Amino acid sequence: MAIGKKLVKFVFIIGLLFVIAGCQGSDEEASNDTGTEQETTDNSAENTETDGLEPVTFTLFDSDTNPDWVDDMDTPVGRKIKEDTGVTLEPEFDIEGGQTKIPLMVASGEYPDLIVSKGAGQLVDAGALIDLLPLIEEHAPNLQKMLGDGINRLKWSEDDPSIYVLTTAAIDNQAMSPGYGAWVQHAVMKELGYPELRTLDDLKNIISEYKELHPQIDGQETIGLTMNTDSWRIQASFLNSGFMMTGAGDDGEYYIDPETYEATLHYRRPIEKEVFQWYNDLNNEGLLDPETFVQKSDQYDAKLASGRVLATIGPDYMMNSGQEALREAGLTDRMYGVYPVTLSEDYVNHSYQSIGLQAGWGISISKDCEDPVRAIKFLDYLASEETQIMMNWGIEGEHYDIVDGKRVIPQDEWDKRNSDKDYLKNTGIGYNFARFAPRYGDGVLDSTGQTYTVNTREIAIQNQTEIEKEVLAAYDMELWKDAYPTADDFPVKPWGAAYNISIPANSDLQVLNQRALDITKKMVPEAVLTTPANFDSVWDEFMSSLESINIEKAEEEYTNLIKEKVELWSN
Amino acid sequence: METAKEKAHTRGESRMNRFWKHVKNQKLLYAMSLPFVAWVFVFNYLPVWGWTMAFQNFRPGLSFLEQEWVGLEHFITLFQDERFYMVLRNTLAMSFLGLLFGFTIPIIFAVLLNEVRHSMFKRITQTVTYLPHFVSWVVVAGIVTKMLSTDGGIINDLLMGLGIIDSPYQFMAQEKWFWGIVTISDIWKEMGWNAIIFLAAIAGLDPQLYEAAKVDGAGRFRQIWHITLPGIRPTILVVLILNIGHLIQIGFEKQMLLSNPLVVDYAEVLDLYALNYGIGLGQFSYGTAIGIFNSVVSIILLFLANGIFKRYSNQSVM
Repeated sequence: MAIGKKLVKFVFIIGLLFVIAGCQGSDEEASNDTGTEQETTDNSAENTETDGLEPVTFTLFDSDTNPDWVDDMDTPVGRKIKEDTGVTLEPEFDIEGGQTKIPLMVASGEYPDLIVSKGAGQLVDAGALIDLLPLIEEHAPNLQKMLGDGINRLKWSEDDPSIYVLTTAAIDNQAMSPGYGAWVQHAVMKELGYPELRTLDDLKNIISEYKELHPQIDGQETIGLTMNTDSWRIQASFLNSGFMMTGAGDDGEYYIDPETYEATLHYRRPIEKEVFQWYNDLNNEGLLDPETFVQKSDQYDAKLASGRVLATIGPDYMMNSGQEALREAGLTDRMYGVYPVTLSEDYVNHSYQSIGLQAGWGISISKDCEDPVRAIKFLDYLASEETQIMMNWGIEGEHYDIVDGKRVIPQDEWDKRNSDKDYLKNTGIGYNFARFAPRYGDGVLDSTGQTYTVNTREIAIQNQTEIEKEVLAAYDMELWKDAYPTADDFPVKPWGAAYNISIPANSDLQVLNQRALDITKKMVPEAVLTTPANFDSVWDEFMSSLESINIEKAEEEYTNLIKEKVELWSN
Repeated sequence: METAKEKAHTRGESRMNRFWKHVKNQKLLYAMSLPFVAWVFVFNYLPVWGWTMAFQNFRPGLSFLEQEWVGLEHFITLFQDERFYMVLRNTLAMSFLGLLFGFTIPIIFAVLLNEVRHSMFKRITQTVTYLPHFVSWVVVAGIVTKMLSTDGGIINDLLMGLGIIDSPYQFMAQEKWFWGIVTISDIWKEMGWNAIIFLAAIAGLDPQLYEAAKVDGAGRFRQIWHITLPGIRPTILVVLILNIGHLIQIGFEKQMLLSNPLVVDYAEVLDLYALNYGIGLGQFSYGTAIGIFNSVVSIILLFLANGIFKRYSNQSVM
């Protein structure tokens, strides 16, 4: 009897479990059914020109960090976007450019709806992305308008002319602040009587002279020159200075000959040795921060913020945090101006050379996205004139006013923009959403003849500090970019930017590049830190290690890739 | 003949019967263990199927039958790569250092802490020492670099204050220091946590033994030597053998976060190498080959350690 009772209980429990499982199953089916129904009604609604605003959530992976993101898009701009499109984004922001996460996605075969990548070779290879070309042609008038003929540059390859990646770069950007240069404190230039600063030797003399005058700043030892070399940043700041100081534009680890499209690993250009020798001299004279190659990014920021770093070399975005902190602390004379320094006067800084429409890095729709039409419409919405203005200026009446038909940002709002670290986070303005779609760059005009971005020349001047104006005036300039050659001085690079070109996954070239980078990251700092007498031998060792991994083969393959790109795009 | 066959038959039958009887008697126990057996199977045995990748030129998105088979090619590339041997050296060096110090220090710590009479102090010390276990390596790496910095780092300030060195010493830029820095920061982080199991073992020892020892005139050190340490010997052995099994799988967080371009030749470990050259470059097959190498070495080490201990102490974990 006892066993019988237990058996009954057992059967009952099992039965119950089945019922529960069954219910869930049918639930899912039911919801799926309504889902497709909604989609169909959606489509019909769209056909009758009323917006299908059924709320939808898109998961998204972004290769870059975004400390300003607010969950559930709960900012004035975010709420407006949600209201207009019914789309809620559920993004994941990565801290290392997707280097690990994207390969893991590929390995697992599960993708978010939207992916912002820095090179989609692996994703395309795995068949993870859908072709955007038909979607853009059918559903995205704003994107078409914005991209223009540049849309050809987005095509993947000769064999596969699909568009997998929609660029998220600024279109026709003419940045108000130069992208790369030597950054020197205003106080230094002022005290030394505004000396000429054009070459690396000038820079060294300035640092050395000022450091002698002030061995200490605020009771702490003065640091001549330091650089941010934490993880990938060593490439963007220190290693890139090799070509930046010798008259070439940024093509990543390679130098591309503009005539023959021949690719050379840029350290193998004989002239670059002199640039790194300059660092070696600097170190030998005690002007280079001994911690340059050891410090983490936050240590670097903290050093800049302490006001005792006289100069640094690198891209503008590595300066933001330090400059902001100095401004907030009221140490405006310790903030930095940027100068187009090169190895000698034979070279000019190529920061402003146009690469044309930047292809390669951008946003893609994955094959797991259930409603790609809705997704492309969302991206198209982001690219529309009204949204572009909103993402830059904010909400009318709240963040800017219209006076005499012109957009004007009130002074108190400007003060907030300049000093409130959380301004972007609180408003949703700026890169927060602009990062997900192509956008108009600085200097581009909308239908009313005003700039899309708030970075106009006048506003840039208006936001300068007193001492900044003083230093600029001493050099007869209004903006730092005035010292730089403009985009018109250079031809547009027919291959874009080499670092943007996707390298086929699983190829020898990819492995060779990784090996070369491993060697470079180790050997170049070593060459800089060694004794001057030893520099040549370390550099020779560096060169021979590169040869030993057969770098010529990589250069050859890279050359082919570049040539293919030029051919594809010129059609 | 017939009877023999019959006998064999009945014997077999009875064995089967006995087995089923057994199962029937303990059916609840079997039922209870079933989910865990399934769990182990799904998460530890099924993934081994993925090892097939190492013998293919694996491309994601293709089905299993469409993959190209390449035999041992990836293993050959691996064993021909100089970098692999450098990385292997670093991995083994850091794990042996970790095992040597990261294993003995918690034991010493547990034994010493057990001797502390003041129970409040004892409890506070225990809590304080195991808390770092919960701090992420990112934070620990930040603290370590800051402490060893030449620019106002506390260690350099201290050494200079004591007059041991004249100018700040660049700890983080020296290749020879890297293994030491990793080991010491690991001990700082994990010492208290690893001591918990030993403290628990000590707490389980019979107090009568200590009383008897005291009557016999044993001092503190005699008691430790003759009662505490022999008492926790089984625990020590089990933990040691398990640690040896993990020798080659030391993870990569600490090495990645503490390293910089100047010391990379002493900082890169197998897992990091597998990540950079395997998954990072989309070479899943190559990455898998490294993974297989790892697992095989681990299994060999585990059996070796277990065999040795079985022989000398008649104790084993398997």
